[in-house]
Amino acid sequence: MSGVDAAGRVLVIALGNPDRGDDGIGPAVAARLEGRLPPGVALLVRRGDLLGLIEDWAGVVALVCVDAAAPLGEPGRIRRLDLATDELTRELSLASSHGFGLAEAVELARVLGLAPPRIVVYAVEGCRFTGGTALSTAVAAAVAETAERILAEVGRLLRPTAGVAGP
Amino acid sequence: MTTKRIKVDYMARVEGEGSLDLHIESGQVTAARLGIFEPPRFFEALLRGRGFAETPDIVARICGICPVAYQMTAVHALENAFGVRVEGQLRALRRLLYCGEWIESHALHVVMLHAPDFLGFPDAIRMAAEHGERVRSALALKKAGNALMRVLGGREIHPVNVRVGGFYRVPSRAELAPLAEQLRQARDRAVELVRWVAGFPFPPLERDYEFVALRHPHEYPLNEGRLVSSRSLDIDIADYETEFEERQVLHSTALHSLLKRRGAYLVGPLARYALNFDRLPEHIQALAREAGLGPVCRNPFQSIVVRALEILYACEEALRIIAAYQPPAVAAVPVEPRSGTGFGCTEAPRGTLWHRYDLAADGSLERVRIVPPTAQNQPSIEADLEAVATPLLDQPEALIRERCELSIRNHDPCISCATHFLKLSLHRG
Repeated sequence: MSGVDAAGRVLVIALGNPDRGDDGIGPAVAARLEGRLPPGVALLVRRGDLLGLIEDWAGVVALVCVDAAAPLGEPGRIRRLDLATDELTRELSLASSHGFGLAEAVELARVLGLAPPRIVVYAVEGCRFTGGTALSTAVAAAVAETAERILAEVGRLLRPTAGVAGP
Repeated sequence: MTTKRIKVDYMARVEGEGSLDLHIESGQVTAARLGIFEPPRFFEALLRGRGFAETPDIVARICGICPVAYQMTAVHALENAFGVRVEGQLRALRRLLYCGEWIESHALHVVMLHAPDFLGFPDAIRMAAEHGERVRSALALKKAGNALMRVLGGREIHPVNVRVGGFYRVPSRAELAPLAEQLRQARDRAVELVRWVAGFPFPPLERDYEFVALRHPHEYPLNEGRLVSSRSLDIDIADYETEFEERQVLHSTALHSLLKRRGAYLVGPLARYALNFDRLPEHIQALAREAGLGPVCRNPFQSIVVRALEILYACEEALRIIAAYQPPAVAAVPVEPRSGTGFGCTEAPRGTLWHRYDLAADGSLERVRIVPPTAQNQPSIEADLEAVATPLLDQPEALIRERCELSIRNHDPCISCATHFLKLSLHRG
């Protein structure tokens, strides 16, 4: 087994709308990651049209996503989902009124054979998604830790022992 | 007397949230209401007092699927008020940008939202397992439309490069060149798409719509034309308010539009096609005939074929514009604000979109009226539901529900534009 070693084949996608309260967790984490990811690891911020995400996955071997999750009583809780074993439920891909959320985009990409072999999602539970509001205190407090965990995740993916086969 | 009620809490594959109530008494549909309970968004009010230059970027926020329609209608209306005409390559670039929106919006609806209905799949994901190539092709079509939006508009959703008088920046020929190759492939995909959807099983239904659309002397309409109908209406867009009215209804936060003298009418692909068939290139007319359509199509279920034909048209029109493109000397013509009133009317993917702006001498907006296509189509969608449900009343409720949902999706409603979610209640007495 070899790690993901070629430039551009690990992609980090931050999802969300910074003008809709805790839905802004993705862009807030992206701002923290800017300039800190290893060379060749791409960072994209997407706030809508998640169907278009599939276009961003061409040639990607490992994908790390950060998105807001629906309220379940623990705002700011960070959950790591390895889609090789964990299911991405619709509740965890909340935060978009569009017909195609992250869960649907991943499912469609898998059916079409276009999904990256490795997908890890960091879902941060929100509590407030009101238009025109900032991150809640609990979610704002989770931004730094989420960014650090994603940096560590990318580091693991790039190590030869990552368990992700290269092409 | 028995009463039955079917309730669908979340109707998928429409943009926005609404509900449907179907009342049946003594074997007849007595009421079919498309309820829209999404809160009103007050765009017309929040625009008051804003400067004209801000308008294209604000109205773009009305819709994530068709922002270009709102931008184009606004800039034409404001230029109309200021006595400015945008011609030549700037006009062509606007048409090119609009082609991008038609391609991406129609491709999304035809394959991802509407086709599963005809093939018996609950959604595009399940459909993709059996029709993977079609779905891949749709994604590629959408990508081609999005690429036009990105290059011309600055980004794919809510473009930021449109201004009154033209654009903030115009592309070089070299920037458009890669789009042409992508569009040539998209054109071929669109032809395949027309042939694919033409073979779907369409329920037999002919509706006596009064079609309303723009008509231009030479072009299939996008940005300009007179407002015409299949029943002899032929007016300048400035006279819209003399012939059309909006009414409030209890079950919708979107206003219902009606022809003052004749009531319900239909805008959108079926109307554009019927009123402008002769403006389509002959080979597209021939493909339409091969697909089983005459110059007029009154079966709302076949709107999916018309949309596919319009994708083809938009790809070809975009290729024509790119081939003839010479970068203009200026990105925008000068605009001097003045007091007055301006009207704009363009063809959004879902149909005719009409704007009116009353302006103060400094170019600030005093009064705004925006009439989106879905608001105009609500009465006809409700009449469709009655026509679709009536012959099915003795059929299982699941079939009635299914057919009603399909019927609504025939018109690709953008409920958020009109003011989101469709809940179906069927009452049987």
